[in-house]
Amino acid sequence: MGRIKKKGVTGQAKNFITRTQAVRKLQISLPDFRKLCIWKGIYPREPRNRKKAAKNSSHSTTFYYTKDIQYLLHEPLLQKFRDQKALEKKISKALGRGDAHDAQRLERNANRPEKTGKTKYTLDHVIRERYPTFVDALRDLDDCLSMLFLFANLPSTDTVPAKMIARCERLCLEFEHYLIVSHSLRKSFLSIKGIYYQATIQGQDILWLVPYRFNQRVTGDVDFRIMGTFVEFYQTLLGFVNFRLYTSIGLVYPPKFDQTRDDLGAELGAFSLEGNGIGAIEQPKQITNGKTAKPDPKLQKEIDKLMLRLNEPEKEAQEPATSQTLAAEDEDEEEEPTETIDKFEPAAPGGDILLQPSYSATDPSTLFSNFTFFLSRETPRQPLEFILRAFGCKRIGWDAVLGDGAFTTNELDPSITHQVVDRPPIQLPSDAEEETEDNQTSQRIRPGARVPGRTYVQPQWVWDSVNDEELKRPDIYAPGASLPPHLSPFVKKVRGQYDPTAPLNEQEREDEELEVDSDAESDASDDDLAVQAPKLLTIEEVDATAEGMDVAGSDDDGSDDAEEDVEFGGFSDADEEEEDEGVSEALQRQRELEAEATGVQLEEKEVDPRAKAKVDARKKAAKKAKEEEEELERAKMMMSRKSRKVLEKMTYSNKRKDVEAEKLRAKRRKIEKSGKGARDV
Amino acid sequence: MAPSTMDRKRKAVTRDVTELSDVESEAEFGDGLLEGILSQSEDSENESDENEDSDEAEDEEDLDELEDLGSDEIPSEESEDDVEDQNGGLVKSNGKNSRLSDLVHRQAQTKEEKEDKPNYTVTTDANGGERYVYEEIDPVYDSDDSDAPVTTNTVGNIPLTFYDSYPHIGYDINGKKLMRPAKGEALDALLDSIDIPKGWTGLTDPATGKPLNLSQDELEILKRIQTNEMPEEGYDPYPATVEYFTGIEEIMPLSAAPEPKRRFLPSKHEAKRIMKIVRAIREGRILPYKPPEEREDEEEEVHYDIWQDEQPRPDHVMNIPAPKAPPPGYDLSYNPPPEYLPSKSEKQAWDNTDPEDREKEYLPTTHDSLRKVPAYDKFIKERFERSLDLYLAPRVRKNRLNIDPASLLPKLPKPEELKPFPTVCSTLFRGHEGRVRSLAIDPLGVWLASGGDDGTVRVWELLTGRQLWSANIGDEEAVNVVRWRPGRDAVILSAAAGEDIYLLVPPVVDPETETASRDLLDAGFGYATNATQALTANGQKKEPVAKWTRPGFRLEDEGVLIKITVRTTVKVISWHRRGDFFSTVSPTAQKSAVAIHTLSKHLTQIPFRRLPGIPQTVQFHPSRPLFFVATQRTIRSYDLQKQELVKIIQPGARWISSFDIHPGGDNLIVGSYDRRLLWHDLDLSTRPYKTMRFHSKAIRAVKYHKGGFPLFADASDDGSLQIFHGKVVSDMMENATIVPVKVLKGHKVKSALGVMDIDWHPREPWCVSAGADGTCRLWM
Repeated sequence: MGRIKKKGVTGQAKNFITRTQAVRKLQISLPDFRKLCIWKGIYPREPRNRKKAAKNSSHSTTFYYTKDIQYLLHEPLLQKFRDQKALEKKISKALGRGDAHDAQRLERNANRPEKTGKTKYTLDHVIRERYPTFVDALRDLDDCLSMLFLFANLPSTDTVPAKMIARCERLCLEFEHYLIVSHSLRKSFLSIKGIYYQATIQGQDILWLVPYRFNQRVTGDVDFRIMGTFVEFYQTLLGFVNFRLYTSIGLVYPPKFDQTRDDLGAELGAFSLEGNGIGAIEQPKQITNGKTAKPDPKLQKEIDKLMLRLNEPEKEAQEPATSQTLAAEDEDEEEEPTETIDKFEPAAPGGDILLQPSYSATDPSTLFSNFTFFLSRETPRQPLEFILRAFGCKRIGWDAVLGDGAFTTNELDPSITHQVVDRPPIQLPSDAEEETEDNQTSQRIRPGARVPGRTYVQPQWVWDSVNDEELKRPDIYAPGASLPPHLSPFVKKVRGQYDPTAPLNEQEREDEELEVDSDAESDASDDDLAVQAPKLLTIEEVDATAEGMDVAGSDDDGSDDAEEDVEFGGFSDADEEEEDEGVSEALQRQRELEAEATGVQLEEKEVDPRAKAKVDARKKAAKKAKEEEEELERAKMMMSRKSRKVLEKMTYSNKRKDVEAEKLRAKRRKIEKSGKGARDV
Repeated sequence: MAPSTMDRKRKAVTRDVTELSDVESEAEFGDGLLEGILSQSEDSENESDENEDSDEAEDEEDLDELEDLGSDEIPSEESEDDVEDQNGGLVKSNGKNSRLSDLVHRQAQTKEEKEDKPNYTVTTDANGGERYVYEEIDPVYDSDDSDAPVTTNTVGNIPLTFYDSYPHIGYDINGKKLMRPAKGEALDALLDSIDIPKGWTGLTDPATGKPLNLSQDELEILKRIQTNEMPEEGYDPYPATVEYFTGIEEIMPLSAAPEPKRRFLPSKHEAKRIMKIVRAIREGRILPYKPPEEREDEEEEVHYDIWQDEQPRPDHVMNIPAPKAPPPGYDLSYNPPPEYLPSKSEKQAWDNTDPEDREKEYLPTTHDSLRKVPAYDKFIKERFERSLDLYLAPRVRKNRLNIDPASLLPKLPKPEELKPFPTVCSTLFRGHEGRVRSLAIDPLGVWLASGGDDGTVRVWELLTGRQLWSANIGDEEAVNVVRWRPGRDAVILSAAAGEDIYLLVPPVVDPETETASRDLLDAGFGYATNATQALTANGQKKEPVAKWTRPGFRLEDEGVLIKITVRTTVKVISWHRRGDFFSTVSPTAQKSAVAIHTLSKHLTQIPFRRLPGIPQTVQFHPSRPLFFVATQRTIRSYDLQKQELVKIIQPGARWISSFDIHPGGDNLIVGSYDRRLLWHDLDLSTRPYKTMRFHSKAIRAVKYHKGGFPLFADASDDGSLQIFHGKVVSDMMENATIVPVKVLKGHKVKSALGVMDIDWHPREPWCVSAGADGTCRLWM
């Protein structure tokens, strides 16, 4: 017989320690403990058995892993905290004695980050411990960047000293500079919360959120001391990460910072990057606003004419133009040895297919490289500047009110190819329109007038182009046009989930439409989406006004086809026989919808075959569903009870998702139907 | 100024008188109360009039004094009057001080009288004689002590303010009230007219209540203090030294010791210590004190590559990295697809729920342009909550199954791949009375043999269900089992009823095969007669375990050729694949329960002397010389050549009813009376690979399809057959796939018995079953 085992010396009882015990063991105050936990990345655990972990009967809430706390015992910061505590005590004692001089002398040694913006300790060793490799640090950069970008946009208060904000802003801008130089920004998304960015650095996807430039609402239940502790750590982390990133691409790390330009609002432009030994990285941007402020009107006219003539061929096919130029460049490049992976095509049949990483059509660094942008004063300059530069744009001008650092502040600069506008179009008087059309002679730009030879787009064009890695058609994004939905590029397409980009009939269950049909038919008449019709009109209007863009697009083609179908609808009986089942179903649906929209007289002719087909389809679907269900039951029969339970749990959550997706599909079906109906009428 | 002018006028007019009074007052009121004031006034007067009539005044004074000497009394009276006049004037001018002036007047009077009169009064005594009554003698206490200040007020060291409300300011040595000196407007007026005299301080002497004046000596002291001299006059701070020890060297020294070296040599030790410090300073170990300069805006942080020598460190097992925030979905867009926008009812529902209960903390909204997007009001809150989560939320590793649930389902072959398997009952074999206990399809797949409770063995045409032949072998006994001999060269049926085993050649085949079969059966008789009988230990003939005989003419005509009689009831017959051996089981016999019969020699052997349990059924291995014996709980496999136990298989069933070996030889299925069907992979384990419990009643029989289809079936007392797809792959790594495919129902349950036996067609995916309802069924 072995020795009787003592209770509470092994296992969970030993592995977990409550917070009170931990604090008592470390002999520090709770705020200091909190700080340590935040910096050292120590977090509470959920023991498998709370009752075993808690030695006493009282209900303790937080458990820490005992080894974590033991590890904290050796922390040098702990000594710093104790020293600080002793010093505070001395100061208070001196003040109590009325010995102001002594207190002042001691005060000099005290840690007052909220005043000086500096601490008496460094967190370097903590960074090294928490992130043994650089990739580890990159992996954890999401929260860091989100937090620092938030603090860079906060107003300074007594809890958030101005120095902290300035430092956050600097670090963020430095990081942005790295992204610009290395072209590692991949995606961005305009959400209602702010702007999401995603960069890929050394294979790590980093996603962070930047708030819109507004005064943030600070509620009382936010403890800025906790946030400040995080910020302190994140600042150190980002500093080191920035250093490493800069040196890795041959730049000197603290880039030169021009305070005067920063005061003028240059932001990104306040930094000047220097090469490590090779020399300064070429700065593509030069400011020419002084020179071209007042061009000679005659000369301007000549230039404009020239430009117009030059632009003419481009204008006809602006969309392919970019790709053409890119293609041409590509051809040149092909001769040179490249580091990209070559595409392997099977020479003879019979071999296995090996997967290769997919090619993107365009290099993200050259997406905007040939353009000169001008940002109107109502557009958000900072995100636009950042994203444009990150995707290769070298010349960005903006209105002088948006701050310093623009390529040009002159809106009439002839080199501008694109202008980002975010204001509603103003109805021009007819003569003005003519004037602008027949070669702008006027030098001053009237509100609402357009400078010919450049493309006017809304800001979303930039984001959508970036996310799809191709230049979108600008006419869809013309000023005043109702924009296409802005979709999140971060959503991974999962089978069975609703995908707004795919057409409806691709993703819905086969019988879903049939199911919905019956009840949809009844309430199809009271469609509330009459709003769609005027919107479509505005698009056409805008198309007319947005010159230089070819209007005929694939989107319109689709609608044209639909209209044709309506005309053909009458004698489609003969076709029906020819088509096979799968195709006919979709067509059937199409016809149904159209007929519904056009009127009842069409229906009379086709009632019988259509109804029959529908019934058939319904039957078939029901049969198939039943078979599937049977098979599932059979498969389930073969599983152990445990795994069957797991399966049921999983199918439960999946079912919820399916219901959600179905709801979305139903909504879309309704919208589509009403939209089409409105259009056809 | 009026009084002063009056004064002057008076001077001018009654010159003599005033002069006189002045002189008198000077002479007589030396220590009077009014001394200060008067002297002041005199001084001030003198000062003001000094230049004009100082000489005159002196002269006149002298003269007056001379006159006074001559006539004592009259002038005194006059002076008294004068004083009275003067005081009266004062009274007139200042009514308040009238009493004071009266006092002064009276005192003056008494003093004058004192001087003038003798210090006694003459009265008459009782005798009428003259009596001199002397005045009381003034002791003049302070006469001896000239140094002590004349304290006239005896109240002591108390503030004079205590007497503010009284007319007096204290008491003299005699207890008389000291009246308050003149003060106030009248005096002020007077004082204004005169300059500040020498030694005037403006302070009041607390002891006397009189103004405090400094004397000349005191002024001198103050002067010296101001000029940083010694306050005392004539004090010599540096007096010449008085030498009390001579500096002159004496001829005789006090000590004869020579003067020590240390007196005139510098100390080495000190030099050492100094050099130590010097060296330390030179080497910079000791730094001269410098006040710490104010560090202003040292913004320069140290930047260096912290990951210069990075080494990947495997993550700790217990470390749970913080989960990343989920990426934004479509509904978070500032301009989402319209289907993501909430409908009115959804919006209302969102508004009505408590913020904590909401599924999403935001409501999808659309903005038709970017400039209309407002600030997100919960931004800081959300970030704060995220930071709280990072350091405060307990982390636990949850195995979230983020996999497709379909992948959890076992990989089943498609139903098309599983086909063919029997699905419908195509033929019904009726004829047996009572239960059909056993059945078998012949190796050619043409005939079906069955035996039942009515003691008959019947042979049917399989496809049509027509009965071809029947023989009553059992008389009263039920036919427990019928089995065909494997092999196509002969058609031999074996059947067991009671203790007898019959070998039959049914007359349904063509004559050639029939003769071949008969020859095969008869060949053994020669061996049997030639064989030497085994003898027991005591020399007697041993009782043979089985008797091979002819069954008699009646049966011989019907086709029953051999009858083997054993000791107890035979329940199971199992043929070896070559058709020469077959084994029978009679569970009730203890030692001879399992017997192996050799057809070619008409020989019966008992392989086991002792068995570990009641044997239920036996099987020959389809390819190797192995022999499987199933007892109630276990199945043992024996090597027949080596004559040893190979393996004990433990299906875990309570009572094994039957088992079958896969034609591959590595798998077997076991059916048990406790409703289990067990699949054993012999290579894998002695425990079952799969346990199937799909029957509600006992399983009677299990059988593999031997003709190439991956099928097996079981028959149960609940009246149903279950058909399974059981694919065995030659790959060692892959387990067998078992798929239930069909439940065949048709047999009726009679007295708690359903299907008694089952058999597969040797080539087609067809199976036959024997029911307790007296029918056999062919399923295809």
